[in-house]
Amino acid sequence: MQKKSIISETEEYLLRNNKCGGLMKITKIFSLALRNIFRNKRRTTLTFFAIISGMVALVVFGGFVHFSFWGLRESTIRSQLGHIQIYKKGYSQEGLENRLEYLIDNFNKVEEELRKMPNIEISAPRLSFAGLISGGENTHTCLGIGGVREKESKLATFEALVEGEDIYGEDEAVIGSTLKKSLGVEIGNYVTLLTMTVDGSINAVDVKVVGVSQSGSREYDSVVVKLPLTTVQRLLNTNSVEKILLLLDKTEHTPTVATQLTQIFEAKKLNLELKKWDELASFYRSVVRLYTGIFNVMKVIIAVIVFFSIANTMTMSIFERTREIGTIRAIGTRKSTTILLFFTEGFLIGIIGGMLGIITGIVVATVINITGGIYVPPPPMMTQGYSALILIVPKVVVYSYISTVLVSIVSSFYPAFRAANLSVVEALRHS
Amino acid sequence: MEKVVEIKDIEKIYYLGKTEIKALQGVNLEINNKGKFICICGPSGSGKTTLLNLIGCLDRPTRGDIIILDMKVLTLSDTKLSQLRNEHIGFIFQTFNLIPVLTAYENVEYPLLIKGLAGRERKRRVLQMLEEVGLIEFRNHKPEELSGGQRQRVSIARALVTLPEIVLADEPTANLDTRTGETILELMRKISKEHSSTFIFSTHDHKILNYAEKIYYLRDGRISLKEQ
Repeated sequence: MQKKSIISETEEYLLRNNKCGGLMKITKIFSLALRNIFRNKRRTTLTFFAIISGMVALVVFGGFVHFSFWGLRESTIRSQLGHIQIYKKGYSQEGLENRLEYLIDNFNKVEEELRKMPNIEISAPRLSFAGLISGGENTHTCLGIGGVREKESKLATFEALVEGEDIYGEDEAVIGSTLKKSLGVEIGNYVTLLTMTVDGSINAVDVKVVGVSQSGSREYDSVVVKLPLTTVQRLLNTNSVEKILLLLDKTEHTPTVATQLTQIFEAKKLNLELKKWDELASFYRSVVRLYTGIFNVMKVIIAVIVFFSIANTMTMSIFERTREIGTIRAIGTRKSTTILLFFTEGFLIGIIGGMLGIITGIVVATVINITGGIYVPPPPMMTQGYSALILIVPKVVVYSYISTVLVSIVSSFYPAFRAANLSVVEALRHS
Repeated sequence: MEKVVEIKDIEKIYYLGKTEIKALQGVNLEINNKGKFICICGPSGSGKTTLLNLIGCLDRPTRGDIIILDMKVLTLSDTKLSQLRNEHIGFIFQTFNLIPVLTAYENVEYPLLIKGLAGRERKRRVLQMLEEVGLIEFRNHKPEELSGGQRQRVSIARALVTLPEIVLADEPTANLDTRTGETILELMRKISKEHSSTFIFSTHDHKILNYAEKIYYLRDGRISLKEQ
């Protein structure tokens, strides 16, 4: 009987059935890989431990970083910047040099418009000046900020009044704690403020120190003098304001409100412009950059540790299973299927280890939060420390998980290829 | 007549450092009819394993040609060779070489999974093979829960489940006691007839030569034939 070559017959069969003859069903590969993972329980436990530690570090540190971002963002917004600042058009280009030439004079009309908008909680007009403050013996430069008390008190929730009381009447002042120290004045003393009016002449006013405030930023506390808006207007000889700070109900609404406002300014020809908090908060931005940088370095270190721990486990496992690899290759497992088999092991280690890591990470974060968070000493240029909580940020958790799985796949590359390329004869001889 | 195995002037040289070891020198071998029970006999180090590895397409010769089932195997890719081994050659190892994480059933099923055989047919064949080797009751046992003889039976079932034309067994009884070894050989011979598979097994034990229908002697890498 003339028999056709077996291989061409097989090829025909494969073409006809359009399937890969050497490839096992993926479910079977998963089941085999899963059993192989749990074969050496102690080693697998150690690998999982490495993955879990890495994940916990990522989730907890990521949560801490995000809490810090949140805290710094809100404190910056609430104590200094507001969510949005409104100025006369041109202020941000030219106004910093000639502030007094870019004042908002139609302030009441603007406020009327702002009151109509739902997301705005507070609109606080401000007029500030740079000048000198004298307490009798000492004279210092200062930053005078005039505002409306009822509005300012709501705005500065991160700024604490540490001595005395808030401004109630005309010609009263609250000064920064560091400034108070360097001037050597007490509550109830009078200080003299000296600056230039809008029309270029020198003017001075005597105000009574009624309180001392502390913001957390030493630099700010060494220059700030808070005054009633009307006092500053009188000092500068104007009825206008420099800017209007807006505080919204939620920080997330900032872009929407900003867009709406820009449209209103255009439509009503109000000749105004605005800046959002993130455009103004340079300190916040640099902190975010710094922390993100540190976090990235940490991610890389953890990825490397996880990489080597999985690669090590797989390499050891392959060494121990050399003869078995020879056997499965001998009985017809293709190189590609062998690679897939070990790949799946690495992948499953990542999947399972990552899951355990998420759970442990969330548990650790919750325990830290319940027990009161992590005390953080005062950051640079700040005067107060704080207790940081760990935010469980879905983005961080998902990101850590995906990276862990990716790293585990990548780390099984080399061991898998090595296993597939073992010489079958030598592998079978291995004892 | 179909040639099952044709070995032409094979030479296999190993290098141990700078020393040249001629495992096989000019071996010619032709196995023509199916269903034979063939023994390759020789002292240890005579090249039995090397020869079986070459027939099993696990290794390549230094010189010469190998034709298995009308195919020049030396021209085939690794993938095609894997497929050839899976579908046409069964392997029985001296140390059984079962996959420890799989049960007896799953070990026998493994070659059929590679082959891509559909579920119901696969199950039928595995159970039939386990029945034939007398291990149907032990199908859910892991290899570590089986005796040496039972493990070798699983291994026989695994080798035959794809209905291969050739079954290679390198010293299949070396790790078994005499009694068990004899039973295993008995079983192998029986199955060989039933499946009309050509069994080629190697041994250095002269007592078990009686089972063979054809005996090749291998000494110092050269082969000679003795019909039973």
